Amino acid sequence: MALSIGIVGAGTMGAGIAHIAALNKCTVALYDINEEVIRRGVERINFEMKRSVDKSKISEDDMKQAMNRIKKRTNINDLDTCDVIIEAVLEDLRVKKDLFKKLDQIAHHTTILATNTSSLSVTSIAAATKKPERVVGMHFFNPVHMMKLVEIVKGALTNDETAKRATEIAHTLGKKTVQTKDTPGFIVNRVARPFYGEAFRLLSEGVASIQEIDRIVKGSGGFKMGPFELMDLIGNDVNFSVTESVYEQMYHDPRFQPSPLQKQMVEAGLLGKKTKKGFYNYEEQ
Amino acid sequence: MKKQVKRKASKAIRKKTAAAKPETQTANRLVCLLGDEHLVKEYSALFQSYGIPVLELKNLASLKTSAKKISIAFELSLESSETKIHNVKTLDEVLEPSIPILSSSITSTVLSQAQSLRNKERLTGIAAFPTLVENKLVEIAPSLYTSTVIAEKITSFFANAKKETAIIEDSVGMVMPRILCQIINEALFTVQNDVANPKDIDTAMKLGTNYPHGPIEWGEKIGFKNIVAVLDALYKNHGEERYRVAPLLRQMAVAGTFWKAKE
Repeated sequence: MALSIGIVGAGTMGAGIAHIAALNKCTVALYDINEEVIRRGVERINFEMKRSVDKSKISEDDMKQAMNRIKKRTNINDLDTCDVIIEAVLEDLRVKKDLFKKLDQIAHHTTILATNTSSLSVTSIAAATKKPERVVGMHFFNPVHMMKLVEIVKGALTNDETAKRATEIAHTLGKKTVQTKDTPGFIVNRVARPFYGEAFRLLSEGVASIQEIDRIVKGSGGFKMGPFELMDLIGNDVNFSVTESVYEQMYHDPRFQPSPLQKQMVEAGLLGKKTKKGFYNYEEQ
Repeated sequence: MKKQVKRKASKAIRKKTAAAKPETQTANRLVCLLGDEHLVKEYSALFQSYGIPVLELKNLASLKTSAKKISIAFELSLESSETKIHNVKTLDEVLEPSIPILSSSITSTVLSQAQSLRNKERLTGIAAFPTLVENKLVEIAPSLYTSTVIAEKITSFFANAKKETAIIEDSVGMVMPRILCQIINEALFTVQNDVANPKDIDTAMKLGTNYPHGPIEWGEKIGFKNIVAVLDALYKNHGEERYRVAPLLRQMAVAGTFWKAKE
């Protein structure tokens, strides 16, 4: 029988997960409190799938069937029969804890409860439920339909069976998985910290300019994007909040110290591509 | 951004060298390479592939006989040692003062290396680092003494070898080696803290954030001892805990490769 997936939160990540789940023949219940957010989420999925059809990556029929597998839900109780519920709401521990408490009550006792958090403690979220052993982190990367990876995060109380099932579910969604313990930043957001952190240091020490650092990292290191370009793409607010979160959770280990410039960019509203201005200017001339 | 007035030296050089064209004269353009064996081989292969004749110098005794034909010299030892300083000093004594000398300046500044030279203005730093040689851009660091004429000669030379150059300030770690070594250091801390296994860390960084190589396999290719050398130099230079070497990384530097040590 097809896997039944509940998704809580129809923003960028939630819609992305719904997109790949539907394409991989899962039935999808896409839930959000806000009906308008769901509508926009489904619209985005429709838009992205159309692009895949245009590029001949999927057929028109694939798309039609996939779109039919996505059910819009505004009543959380409708997720009670899902095999797995993946949460993708905003990165706020209190909001997530309240949500998991609720999900724990409504979901069938065999349902896996997964969080897509990128920087909060899975253990802490799990502790809000009565069965923390069935709570696991499934960290997808943006854009979900392009990025191949899911980090399977084992909280302190997650049991092996749950981690194993989450891994299988990710494989069903066409993803590659890695397993990580529940530590700040998991693997990617931790090991990638110096990519940005040292770039800020080099800039503040006057070793090279923003443009030159980006040019060197691409030209000499073979990276697809330089650190400043990439921060503009991710959003300086998003990147700063991840940096701060890892720094706080690591008890101010100096390796993770955010840069004052990073904060100032956020304060100035220079968030990157989405605001048309960041380290670079994206306004049409 | 406020900078020390003197550090703007490289700004003028950057302007002058921005439109570097391949040099036109081809006579007497032997490239002299010495220092780290692997880097000498890599650069030698690179230059020869563009038809630039190379002299791989095994010992300094043979330098004098070829001195007249040499148009540019490279000292590629990564770590600052007496041998490196001796090499640079001898090149300075033997070669005509107009000949540029490039020296790896990742673990020590060009400024400090230039102190014992008669012609300080010809010494320039280069980020010669394993696995980066094949890429299209090379970082060049002039010191406070480096002349614009020398810097122009260097950028023209690299234009001949189809390499872009980036002129940066003379600074321990330079740009790419510093960022890269800190990423690899963090990956080793992550293994050491038992967060994930090395293979998963490599997979995660390649698929989750598009890195060209996984940090641990990359570290193996570079040589863990080279990474420790860069981080130790940064730690000493900056005096900050931030550059503390992961104890496991230090062990790998002794053991050579990660996998061998674990098997």
